Amino acid sequence: MSNMTTVEPFGDGFVSALCPELILFTGMLLLILVPNLGQGTFRIPGTQIRLPWLLGGTRFKFTSDPRLPAWIASITLGGAFAKVLYTFSQGLERVSIVSESGKELLLVNGFSRIFELIFFGALALAAFSSMNRLQVNGIGAKVSEQELYNNRRQADFYILMVTCALGMSVVALAQDLFVLFIGLELASFSTYVLVAFLKESKVGVESGMKYFIVGSVASGVGLYGLSMLYLWAGSLQFSVLAATFAESGTTALPLIGIGFVLVGFGFKVSAAPFHFAAPDAYSGATSPVAGVLATASKAMGMIGLVRMLLIVAAPESSDGSAVWLVCLGAMAAITMTWGNLAALGSDNPKRMLAYSSVAHAGYMLAALTAVGAWNWDAAVSGDASAAAVAVMTALLFHLVVLVAFKLGAFLVLSLLESEGGASRLSSLGGLAKREPLLAVAMFIFMISLAGVPPMAGFLSKLLVIMGIVRVAVGGMGAEIADGGIYALGDMHWVWWLALLMVINSAISVFYYLRVVVVMFFDEPEQGREGPLPNGWQVRVAILACVLTTILVGVAGDSLIRLCEMAAQSLNYNW
Amino acid sequence: MQDWISMPLVGFPLVASIVLLAFVSNTNESMRKRLSNPIRMASLIFSLLLLAITTGMFFQYFGNVSWEGISFNNYEFAHRYTWIESLGIHWSVGLDALSFPMVWLTTFLLPVTIIATWNEKNGAVYFPILLAMGGALIGVFVALDLFMFYVFWELTLIPMFFLILMWGGKDRKYASQKFFIYTFTASVVMLLGLITLYFFQDSANPLEYAGSMTGRTFDIPTITQHALMENSNGNWYLGANIQKVLFAMLMLGFLVKLPAVPFHTWLPDAHVQAPTGGSMLLAGVMLKMGAYGMFRLPISLFPHALQYFQFVLLAIGMVSLVWGAIVCLGQTNLKKMVAYSSVSHMGVILIGIATMQPMGWAAALFMMFAHGIISPMLFAVCGAFKHHYHSMEIGAMRGMAKHSPWLATSMMFAWMASLGLPLLAGFVAELMMLIALWYFLAAEGLSVFWMVGPALVLAVTAAYYLWSMQRTIFEGGDDTQPPASLGNGPVPDIANPEKLAMIILAFFTIAFGVMPWIALDMMHDWTIQIFEGLVLPILGDFSGGA
Repeated sequence: MSNMTTVEPFGDGFVSALCPELILFTGMLLLILVPNLGQGTFRIPGTQIRLPWLLGGTRFKFTSDPRLPAWIASITLGGAFAKVLYTFSQGLERVSIVSESGKELLLVNGFSRIFELIFFGALALAAFSSMNRLQVNGIGAKVSEQELYNNRRQADFYILMVTCALGMSVVALAQDLFVLFIGLELASFSTYVLVAFLKESKVGVESGMKYFIVGSVASGVGLYGLSMLYLWAGSLQFSVLAATFAESGTTALPLIGIGFVLVGFGFKVSAAPFHFAAPDAYSGATSPVAGVLATASKAMGMIGLVRMLLIVAAPESSDGSAVWLVCLGAMAAITMTWGNLAALGSDNPKRMLAYSSVAHAGYMLAALTAVGAWNWDAAVSGDASAAAVAVMTALLFHLVVLVAFKLGAFLVLSLLESEGGASRLSSLGGLAKREPLLAVAMFIFMISLAGVPPMAGFLSKLLVIMGIVRVAVGGMGAEIADGGIYALGDMHWVWWLALLMVINSAISVFYYLRVVVVMFFDEPEQGREGPLPNGWQVRVAILACVLTTILVGVAGDSLIRLCEMAAQSLNYNW
Repeated sequence: MQDWISMPLVGFPLVASIVLLAFVSNTNESMRKRLSNPIRMASLIFSLLLLAITTGMFFQYFGNVSWEGISFNNYEFAHRYTWIESLGIHWSVGLDALSFPMVWLTTFLLPVTIIATWNEKNGAVYFPILLAMGGALIGVFVALDLFMFYVFWELTLIPMFFLILMWGGKDRKYASQKFFIYTFTASVVMLLGLITLYFFQDSANPLEYAGSMTGRTFDIPTITQHALMENSNGNWYLGANIQKVLFAMLMLGFLVKLPAVPFHTWLPDAHVQAPTGGSMLLAGVMLKMGAYGMFRLPISLFPHALQYFQFVLLAIGMVSLVWGAIVCLGQTNLKKMVAYSSVSHMGVILIGIATMQPMGWAAALFMMFAHGIISPMLFAVCGAFKHHYHSMEIGAMRGMAKHSPWLATSMMFAWMASLGLPLLAGFVAELMMLIALWYFLAAEGLSVFWMVGPALVLAVTAAYYLWSMQRTIFEGGDDTQPPASLGNGPVPDIANPEKLAMIILAFFTIAFGVMPWIALDMMHDWTIQIFEGLVLPILGDFSGGA
């Protein structure tokens, strides 16, 4: 482990530590400024002298191009992604950003970096492929009012994408619950607007409204919990909260407070019973945005859960069981089963993917539960912390690869949407005849979601199950080798979560295969026989997703190691 | 030594198939028709190359192999490369007398299937998928790493799913999904069993090939070695309770694949709807994955549990045998009848395993092999029916001997081989199974009543096969009365490629029936080895149980 360096805001090393965020900030400013650059002048009062001041007025040809914001956003997000990737290759450092009064505000380490990778990767892909989804019309020609309106609002969409990324990375970095909430709200409000962005369509507005109301209620409950925690501990620093919890955690006030905070994050990861808005939001939003909700936004919620459950309400290291263990285990079981059963009956591919994303949230919660039991077996000395790291690694790995195949699936739907709707399963009909390669890509995403080897989804599911089983088995292997006698019931009960998880994977195959069958078997809908509309950006993004899905599935070792490094940096007690 | 397995046998067909599929993916319909012939030729040549390699292995052209001399848990042509180091996953391949016959069988059936379904529609896509199927199947049999084994185990589902979905019969949509979901469900339970087994390894003792993150290994030879040491000390490897549970979890995956009653219901649907080529590979090799897996994992690792569940397996085997045969009697669909006869024959394998006699295990191994040659012929005949008579109903075709002598002869031969006519391959296996069962009953002091089942089945099998032959080949249909399903069209016989495939399959059925020792010697040797290593040490507590 590298040593920690402490940096004050705008002090030495501040820029290099927060370089990705500063890139985003610059990009955001550019997005606001550049489309407004024009031949505007400023008349010095009382004179006839006009000084060119470049803002406003007749726009330049270059800055009036409606495609410009999309490119700025894509390059910004892509650049931030590349920068994070580069820091990984440079070896990770641990930089703590401390306020003048000595409070730790942000912490840059492997854990936050891997989440930045997820956020920027997902949003860069989404922004890049939105170029095709949000059409730009009639460049250089006369355009109608509606088309002009569409062109004008391009900038808004991409600004929101970038602010969303900025908020998410603040969540990843935050070491203070309050800072975390600011980041969470910045990202949340961006997504509320993004979901409702197509306000001409009824579905878009309705889903945006639902998502906003449920989301803000969840946030409100979370904030209320926050205030209770402040009342109890007198601080919102994670380190202070954790220390206070270790002393007097099992009293009513902090437990209720933590419970309330978890509602806010539970909504973000769409864990049952806070998942009701998710299917509506996903089906109403444009597909790239829905993809962001299912990947980046979910990862953001997961950070909150991890920080609250594993850092603040940390499991006791003496017997390892956390206070929330049974509660979270039950939630995991309900979430994965509910998600899968609901997805079975859904004819809308986007709703289906939404419910599948609920199911995946259940798998991740099961992994979190296993971490909560990491040290249950008193006989285990050295292996237990390694087990906790293993489960955390699995969780991070799952979140990373989810970006490839879940967002990929949404991008395929996005192509169909720009042709004329993808709200029924039959709109995928005959895709294999219309565009064989696209159908194969969708097939790869589907079986990866189902967890069929050799795709990345299989490896991630395998890692999660392996992590859970590892915790459940504990040190029994060594005991048995020394002549100990154990039965199945001696394992920790989280093993049954693993069993439930594999059964759920089997159920999920039903609805994933249905998509495949429709693509390869059914005839196309009337009037949709030909190839899909052009859009090289989406296709490039889909290709990137397919390649990642296959490559990580076949050779995932380096990514596993990366995630292991990140998992280790989360908690030094492990 | 040169690695003759990884790239030549597994990688090559998979890569070739992907390249060919990528090549045709962006072509239009007419182009695809034109490409069909060269792609078919290429696929045939590729599959013949595979056959040449495995045959060369058998005749010891590559390396210094003696298939009979390989002791238990030792492998020829073994190679191990690091794959996912942090989890202890290796790309590990090797062959022994258990897997080699299956690999040879796969490479043998691949060109035969291509020839038998020479005129399949949309050939530019069909033949590459067959190649991929072959590569995945070989991967299952050569894998010596649990992870790799599972990956290929599931990978076989994908090409088969598409074979059924895109070239199958009327209800192919339903059948393909049922096939996939059924076997996938069983496999994920097996996967959980494998992972639990993985973590029950003792990480305190430094294991060979262990992962840096987990301290355990997926390496099958290493695990088998540990299990062998524990078991032969008289202990249950991992303890009684856990061994039983893991045995049951692994067996579930393999029993569904085999399939055994009551997990067999996916098979008739898949077979009836699958295209001929799919059926041939499904019955010929894919079902054997189940039996192969049983030998490779649960039996090798958990002999005590095998003994504990011996009578359960025997009962399942008996029920499969009898039930499959009885259901056959009621079928009017020719292909469905053949599918249920497969269930019955897989029961023979299970009984052979459950006897825990070396001869019973050798019988199971030989049944895997013999059924792998005979059942593709059965399905080739069914396919020819469908293709030329446009019907699978047994009553719909009459007097075939007059109309289509080639088809009638092939059918008669295949049917006879399947019902176990002496001097044909199936007979050897069934006879060995009966003798082993007899031994077993005598050793256990059990009533001869148990023999009634198999004996009855021999009669029932003869009954449904003879009945169906009588209805289709001989009865009715003089020259003025062609089969009704053809309307007034000409009465066809099978095409030349189909004749060739039939002749090849018939030839090998006779060859392995008359000279079973070609394959049986190595199988028998291997079973003696595994028996001495595994079962003899635990026979001490035979009466006392655990």
